[in-house]
Amino acid sequence: MTKDNILLKLENVSKIYKMGEVEVPALKNVSVEIKKGDFVAIIGASGSGKSTMMNLIGCLDTPTSGNIFLKSKNISLLDESDLASHRGKTIGFIFQQYNLIPSISTFDNVLLPLEFQEIDDKKASERVKKILSIVGLSDKMFNLPTQLSGGQQQRVSIARSLVGDPEVILADEPTGALDSVTGKDILRILHKLWKEEGKTIILVTHDLKLAKYAHTTIELKDGEILKTYQNHNEVG
Amino acid sequence: MKFTKAFKHALNMVLHSKLRSWLTILGIIIGVAAVISIVAMGEALEQDMTSQLDDLGGDLLTLTAGASSAHSFGQGRMGNFGGSASATDEEIVLDKTDLQALKGVSDIKLMDTQISGRVDIYYVAEKGSVTVTGVDPLTWYQITTSKLKDGRMLGSADSNVIMIGGRVAESFFDKQLGINQLITIEDRLFRIVGILDDQSTSVYMPINLAYEIIDDKEKGVYDKIIIKIKDEEQIDIAMENIEQKLMIARHVTKDKLDFTLSSNQAQNDSRAEMINSLTMFLTAIAAVALLVGAVGIANTMFTSVLEKTKEIGIMKAIGARNNDILIIFLLNAGLIGLIGGILGIIFGTLLSGSLPALMGDTTGIMNRMFSADTIINLKMSVIAVSMSVFIGMGSGAIPAYQASRLKPVDALRYE
Ligand SMILES: Nc1ncnc2c1ncn2[C@@H]1O[C@H](COP(=O)(O)OP(=O)(O)O)[C@@H](O)[C@H]1O
Ligand SMILES: [Mg+2]
Repeated sequence: MTKDNILLKLENVSKIYKMGEVEVPALKNVSVEIKKGDFVAIIGASGSGKSTMMNLIGCLDTPTSGNIFLKSKNISLLDESDLASHRGKTIGFIFQQYNLIPSISTFDNVLLPLEFQEIDDKKASERVKKILSIVGLSDKMFNLPTQLSGGQQQRVSIARSLVGDPEVILADEPTGALDSVTGKDILRILHKLWKEEGKTIILVTHDLKLAKYAHTTIELKDGEILKTYQNHNEVG
Repeated sequence: MKFTKAFKHALNMVLHSKLRSWLTILGIIIGVAAVISIVAMGEALEQDMTSQLDDLGGDLLTLTAGASSAHSFGQGRMGNFGGSASATDEEIVLDKTDLQALKGVSDIKLMDTQISGRVDIYYVAEKGSVTVTGVDPLTWYQITTSKLKDGRMLGSADSNVIMIGGRVAESFFDKQLGINQLITIEDRLFRIVGILDDQSTSVYMPINLAYEIIDDKEKGVYDKIIIKIKDEEQIDIAMENIEQKLMIARHVTKDKLDFTLSSNQAQNDSRAEMINSLTMFLTAIAAVALLVGAVGIANTMFTSVLEKTKEIGIMKAIGARNNDILIIFLLNAGLIGLIGGILGIIFGTLLSGSLPALMGDTTGIMNRMFSADTIINLKMSVIAVSMSVFIGMGSGAIPAYQASRLKPVDALRYE
């Protein structure tokens, strides 16, 4: 395996939350490598440190110790502003609670990342329309998030994560707020993005059935990696 | 993020803001409206003052009978005229003796003896009440600061003629009055020979006629003597000399003066001072109103940042830099100030426009105060709007900065 193949690397990463006097170790000396184009599921019980790991990978938080490399760049050394543009261009987020801006339309929500990247208007709006048709929401372009169902909102959030054409998509319990049928739909979209678009997908879930869509599974327990294994006959 | 995009999002935030933001805007509106109407009032008062200072030459003195303050009220010389009832009264008056005494003062250029009182005035079927001032037609036209708008001044050979103030001519009666028209004052017919260029409701006539028209006036006794001195620079010395002469003529000492000599300059100075402190007081109130508005904006911004913490986290997760967040929130605060400022100017203008009606529009000050050129003052509006935008941004700066510094992961977790 060549070094170019490694998209993400965690090197002895620890994260300790301080709550007043109490220290909560959420990740303990974790080292892991994620290959470009992989579909990784991070599983584990609630409180095992999945979200913590996700936030570190997504540059939303900084580790207490250790190094994180994104495309062989040490992001532990970047400042807030550089991290922000890095995030915008390289990473797309999908959250459990969709996290759409409630006061603006579907279209504007998906457009937002491109506005931060200062992409010119015409190009940006064409891109937004294309992405919305991919997730099947062309007819809901001018609806507010509150006028959409949960599954539709999550598809808007997928569209938003895709619009900047990121290399990696991070999804933290994306189906957690959805019924199982809608949840499967969302997983199928992610799977398709992996298979057909070659995106690197990192999925956090506590649902082992959903983890079967992934190619690689990392299992966490109490802030440590219990085991990592490949799934050679993933569903999808 | 480009500025226009940041502006779009800031505007969207204002438009979708809760009632609280609109209440804050209301606070700014009240502050700016208060400032606008107070500045308009102050400016008009000042304009009025300066025009009066221009009018009333600093070379005029006014002499009246009686002490200027009660404690120096002294024993006066008795009125001593024509065996009338008042001859035996111990009434303090100004009369020919004083005039005679003043003629010996070399600083004096001219003197005008005056009496005045309220009289009834009739025109066609209408009746009104005005102040008639009887003046010395020989000197008045050289002393008065009133300007002629139409016709001529009173002459020495005049009888049964009057001059009228601008308001009497324009709007006192249903019909306008003009030169050579006849009006009735207390049963006698007078011809208008001149109209003054002012907003007064005064009527002027030769003093000899006035004695016959105004009740309870005794011939040879004056209400006032207006003195014009030769050299305005020497006014203090002139006043000293006049006082000396009158003290001798009226047999009074310095601490028992029974007359009052005042300069227009001094009167104007004290009036200007009064108006100044009034304006300062009102400005202080307006400033407090604006300050309250500013605190309101800061408060709204702090709550708004709290409320939008999660959105800030989302925006950061999808690529917003600290500066993007800072600019959006600063613009939001500035827009609150801008909207408040513009509405404040509109309300302030309406407010100051409706004041004269509330206060009974009677004087020239009011008239000038609310004339179009004072109220819709572009310069003032620009200043007021930029001021409220500045206040908005100033008081929104700290909350906006705090918003921009939020850690994305903390912001996202906020519920
Ligand atoms: N902001 C925080 N402050 C304090 N403790 C935290 C914080 N976030 C997570 N934790 C703790 O860290 C551990 C791991 O949490 P998390 O990564 O959210 O787990 P998971 O996503 O697997 O449920 C838990 O014990 C949790 O209580
Ligand atoms: Mg979690």
